[in-house]
Amino acid sequence: MRSILLAIVVAGAALALPADAGRSKQVRFVGLHPVPKSEGGGICYIEGPHVHIYGANKLEYRDHRGHQHFVGDPVAYGYDGPKHAYKGHHPIKVNVVVGTPEEDVEFCYLDGPHYHYFEPYEGPDFELRGDAYFYVGEPGPVYVQARPAMVKVNAIYEPIVYTRPIVEVEPPAAWIGVRFGGPAVVVAPAPAVEVRGPAARVEVVAPSVRVVVPPPPAIRVEAGIGINVGVGVGVGGGGKVKYKRGKAKRRGW
Amino acid sequence: MRALLLLAALAACSKSEEFSGGDGTKAALASPTEGPADDGARADVIEAWTKGGLSPSPLTPAQVPVGKDCRTGTVNAVDVLLCVFPSSAEAKAAEDAGLGWVGDTTGTSQAYGKVLVAAADRRKSDPSGRTINQMMKLAPR
Repeated sequence: MRSILLAIVVAGAALALPADAGRSKQVRFVGLHPVPKSEGGGICYIEGPHVHIYGANKLEYRDHRGHQHFVGDPVAYGYDGPKHAYKGHHPIKVNVVVGTPEEDVEFCYLDGPHYHYFEPYEGPDFELRGDAYFYVGEPGPVYVQARPAMVKVNAIYEPIVYTRPIVEVEPPAAWIGVRFGGPAVVVAPAPAVEVRGPAARVEVVAPSVRVVVPPPPAIRVEAGIGINVGVGVGVGGGGKVKYKRGKAKRRGW
Repeated sequence: MRALLLLAALAACSKSEEFSGGDGTKAALASPTEGPADDGARADVIEAWTKGGLSPSPLTPAQVPVGKDCRTGTVNAVDVLLCVFPSSAEAKAAEDAGLGWVGDTTGTSQAYGKVLVAAADRRKSDPSGRTINQMMKLAPR
């Protein structure tokens, strides 16, 4: 009898808790991705939907139906599986990568040569040259609008020493790096001009009074201009992509 | 947390049944891998894992708030929960509940036909996720 009463009390307490009380720390992921150094580093190779109790940053991940999908370069974090070389920014059809029905197009804003664990989607938007994929499609306004913020992802990879693809072919004329090759410059709105003149000073010098006339007012202009330089375009001569053995420090392209 | 409290409540109920002489669920779960709703689907998952080189342990009945016919065990030191449902739609609908069983650790919960497969790496024995990935890819759809 006592057991039944205890069971009722405990069950009541359990039902009073929110349904997700046991997994409030869970973050949903889909596809492989790097593991934070605080959690041991390396790569999580789970391809399907899964959960961890650490988060995902907004520069290397995109939300796909409530799951974080990694769109960065996995080789930088020790990935040793099949990989595909790209050069410059390009779209990713996340639904094709993870196998879900509804189309979800995101952009990778990694500059220059880099890897992904997936090939590009089929169609004329990509051209394969020298074993590297170049995006030659039309990116649309979403890419342009997000670019100033999203190119900051390159700062994450700048200090990482790892083997990158070496792309030594001429890019296609329609390559996104040719059409959008300039830096992603952020210019603040027109500066506000503030004109203030110092108030006239009156000095009283006994026994006379002298009025000091202030100089003309000084114009103070306050402005902030932020410049994000995120794209470098370097194109060499002909040749294939080289996969150098061992680590090589990035020297630009 | 909620799952643990419900487990405690169910355990208390089971104990009271024993004292009162009820038949409990022992007869229905006498088979090591199959419950009353199982038509071999759970065994198919175990067989696929074994053929794929994984090492599933024997499964034991589990009374969890995920389904009525659930069994737990381990695969290469990763905790697993296999629940059989009357239909694939019900198994699919239980995926979130499976994540509740996973709790605050790395894991997954996916329906494969009428079987819900949940895996939780509570011992941190699969830091790269390769074992969990292999389990999910081998499970028959």
